[in-house]
Amino acid sequence: MSREALHESLSAVMDNEADELEIRRVLAGCSDAETRATWARYQLARAAMHKEPVFPKLDIASAVSAALADEEVPVAARKRTGWQAVGRLAVAASVTVAVLAGVRLYNQNEAVGPQMAQQAVQPAPASIAVPQTTQGPAMLAGYSEGKVAAPVEPAAQGGEGWHEKRLPEYVRKHAQQAAFGGGSEGALPYARAASMDENN
Amino acid sequence: MRVRTLCVGLLGGWLSMPALAVDSAYDWLRRLADAQRSTSYVGDFVYQRNGAFSTHSIWQRVEDGATTERVLQLDGPAVEVVRVDGRLVCATDAPAASAQSAKTWRDKRLDPEDLSKWYELRVIGDSRVAGRDSVALAILPRDQHRYGFELHVDRETGLPLKSLMLDEHGQLLERFQYTRLEPGQVAASELKASDDCLRVTEASAEQKEATGWHSDWLPDGFRLLQSSSRTSDVSGQPVTWLVYGDGLARFSVFIEPLGGEVVQDARSQMGPTVAVSKRITAPGGDVMVTVVGEIPLGTAERIALSMRPKQDAQN
Repeated sequence: MSREALHESLSAVMDNEADELEIRRVLAGCSDAETRATWARYQLARAAMHKEPVFPKLDIASAVSAALADEEVPVAARKRTGWQAVGRLAVAASVTVAVLAGVRLYNQNEAVGPQMAQQAVQPAPASIAVPQTTQGPAMLAGYSEGKVAAPVEPAAQGGEGWHEKRLPEYVRKHAQQAAFGGGSEGALPYARAASMDENN
Repeated sequence: MRVRTLCVGLLGGWLSMPALAVDSAYDWLRRLADAQRSTSYVGDFVYQRNGAFSTHSIWQRVEDGATTERVLQLDGPAVEVVRVDGRLVCATDAPAASAQSAKTWRDKRLDPEDLSKWYELRVIGDSRVAGRDSVALAILPRDQHRYGFELHVDRETGLPLKSLMLDEHGQLLERFQYTRLEPGQVAASELKASDDCLRVTEASAEQKEATGWHSDWLPDGFRLLQSSSRTSDVSGQPVTWLVYGDGLARFSVFIEPLGGEVVQDARSQMGPTVAVSKRITAPGGDVMVTVVGEIPLGTAERIALSMRPKQDAQN
């Protein structure tokens, strides 16, 4: 990616205008010192423009790198147990959260966006809750995790299967009613309905 | 760097203010409603929400007052629909046909005067979408019970080029955006559906008006648009289905008897669409009330908990 494009994205993050893709691009490109220096300069310029207090050495990326470096490296000879693997995952996850929270903080937005909040929500029908947590950085055209097709649950299971069986049908009915049920409102309700209906 | 563009943008915005003041957001929305029915065009658009991204082509031909519209998904399954005057003629997806009710609200159209009671309508500036000059409008909710929109309308035709749905924090929930729009005559052959597009027949009269339920509380401006009661294809249970709208946002309420089953409450979110299920106690046995719609989660929960069986209903 060109340096200019990265700086443009960086500037967008600063101005609170970045979309998710841009934030990811910046996070991916923030590994080198030069970009971080640019970020710090922008931050300073912004603070000056908005008459905000300046935190000259608030460098989350470095802090995260340092935390990772301090992390104990498992001895190769020893077979890693499941719990250790989970521990490493947890560290990785907390780093991700720290970085995201940092960006949000810089944006002076609410520290936790709705996407993050979604993850804490009870995992009702897994097939529908999934998209909130696993949106990849590069989305393929036609890619959809919003599959509303739920696996058929045995009736005896009751509880959990109840929603998974009915919710996809409810959601589809709602979307299609908006798209086709009453007066044409253009292509938007149709596109929304098509995105809910990937099970064909 | 963005800071410099910002300064130029501010200056430009200030200079063009008098020009903007001539066209109010009301005028643009009125123009948009007309343009959607009266303009022939070809275009490509993208739709994006959390977890989904798709691209589509659209052909619309207006001739002798009749509007024929064909939309084809360009990636993944070749989903296709053809509509004439808003009525579905054919669809690759057979169940879509069942969504069409016998009644249509052909007369129900975007009404800026009505909308302005629940949303603040504002022109926010000039923009450029799909290589065309457009005007950006903000449709801001007046309360916390609905989402806001940013709408970019083509200056030449009045067609909507871009629509963003935003939550209360300004986070993007959904993007609908043209990448190409060519107004002008469209050949009839372009509107011919492929052989996979199944003809849609009039919905059967099996669904009847549902009168057994009502809502104790609704956000201001939402009105009942449709009610029906029919046997679910999935569970075989009689499901009451109520549809409410404020002229822009919509939600559905589904009420299904639990038949003594013990089922947890549930909620989930698919981009702009939330689904909340709550168990409600009714004289004829507990039911599960599910609210599905493009409304905030808290609002959907409150609506679900406000559904009541009517006193005189048998159920």
